[in-house]
Amino acid sequence: MSAPLDANARRQSFFEAESVDRLVSMVLELATELWVVRERLYVLEREAGRLGLPLSEAIEAHELTPEEQAQLAEMRRRMLGELMRTVGRDHRPPLRSFESPTV
Amino acid sequence: MSLELRHPLKIAPPRDTAARQAFVSALRGYILNDLAGELRSAYISEVAPQFERGHGRPPESEDEVHRAMISNTCFKFYSSIRYNAQEMVWRSVIPHAEHTLPETCSKIEAHAGSAGGTLSLDPTLELPRNVARLDVHLMPGGYAPDESPLAGAIYDQGLAVFAAGMMGHNLDDIGLSMAHYVKHRFPRLEPQRILDCGTTVGHNAVPWAQTFPQAEVHAIDVSAAVLRYGHGRAESLGFPVHFHQMDATELRFPPEYFDVVFSSMFLHELPLRDIGRFFEQAHRVLRKGGLLLNMELPPNRELCAYDRFYLDWDCYYNLEPFYRGFRDQNPQDLVVAGGFRAADYLQFVVPQYSYMPESEFAAEVGGTRRVSGDTGRLSTGVQWFGFGAWKSE
Repeated sequence: MSAPLDANARRQSFFEAESVDRLVSMVLELATELWVVRERLYVLEREAGRLGLPLSEAIEAHELTPEEQAQLAEMRRRMLGELMRTVGRDHRPPLRSFESPTV
Repeated sequence: MSLELRHPLKIAPPRDTAARQAFVSALRGYILNDLAGELRSAYISEVAPQFERGHGRPPESEDEVHRAMISNTCFKFYSSIRYNAQEMVWRSVIPHAEHTLPETCSKIEAHAGSAGGTLSLDPTLELPRNVARLDVHLMPGGYAPDESPLAGAIYDQGLAVFAAGMMGHNLDDIGLSMAHYVKHRFPRLEPQRILDCGTTVGHNAVPWAQTFPQAEVHAIDVSAAVLRYGHGRAESLGFPVHFHQMDATELRFPPEYFDVVFSSMFLHELPLRDIGRFFEQAHRVLRKGGLLLNMELPPNRELCAYDRFYLDWDCYYNLEPFYRGFRDQNPQDLVVAGGFRAADYLQFVVPQYSYMPESEFAAEVGGTRRVSGDTGRLSTGVQWFGFGAWKSE
């Protein structure tokens, strides 16, 4: 992956405490990931039912292999990276006064 | 609801990516409709009365509204969430667009020439600073990072997420609305040559070819990246559009070549000096009796202080520094400075063509719609503002 994921500009903050802006990012990223999982589960459950598979029972009984555990660990790490993506970014302070932009 | 692009260059993303895009798109729709309503309510019930108690009058300018709103909690959350959503739009599409770039390139190559359109690039063209040095719309890498069509793919897919289903079935509602306005309002114009300036991926140029199949449609942009993609996109849709890498301030077409010179959401990204130069060029390349037509954000002078402030958000927080400067102008003055006569000026407001029967749209053309808080403000029920001028016979 080489295409940049962030614009070349200081991030704008809106709250007096810059940390709140970072928290808003985290909450929204979390909500997005939660939705992705919910949608996938929704599809999974319906497909399983349609195919006559007793999936719920199988999930409860499943024991993770070392390979599966490693895969999940990597997935968690990637998710945390997205969640914390603004922690280290430099932020512009909130505007307290301003002039019309130069044109 | 997230928008599914309906052209053959689209490559369906994996389910998780599609779910992520759908969520971000829904978030955008929620911000622009629901949170925007909350923001207006906060202004009416808290901020404006507080200002009035201190000043003995309500806020009179967009700057006064902005200063008063900056410390309001609702504004902070609205802005922070909207800013994040803008970043998330791009983050939701970039990895997929990059991963599928080879397939996209193959499709562009496969469709090349199939509809009769062309692509002319100019490697000597110097990018204007407002394109080269600015990640407009917070789009990572900007619109012209290199010659790869990746930036075009990112813009097309990102705009689909951004629009939240409110910009037409193929991101083409602005072009369709403007072209059909011309078709119904000026049926005798029958344009033979049409030019779209600042076309990016040609999503609003294709509708002109659709609406006027007899016309030769040209489209220009300074970015080779978006043009390469736009050319493939138009060809894949079966509409011949001639794409050129060209600066709108230095058009390389003969005098009196076009019947219509069009732009959409373009002028507000330009420094005022460049708008003047573009209009001078448009006047030169239009034939006598031809029409300059720009779809744009409405001028500040026709909006109340709150609506001016609301539209200003992008200028201050979305890397669109020329946005406000353009909207502060009188559009009639701008076209007159370009060589058009004041008496030949026109402006209008139209509903969205894509979401109503053609007969209803036709009945609206020439109607009494005026600029209001819904004009140019992307939300359900948005209506588009157009202005321009005839070139005198």
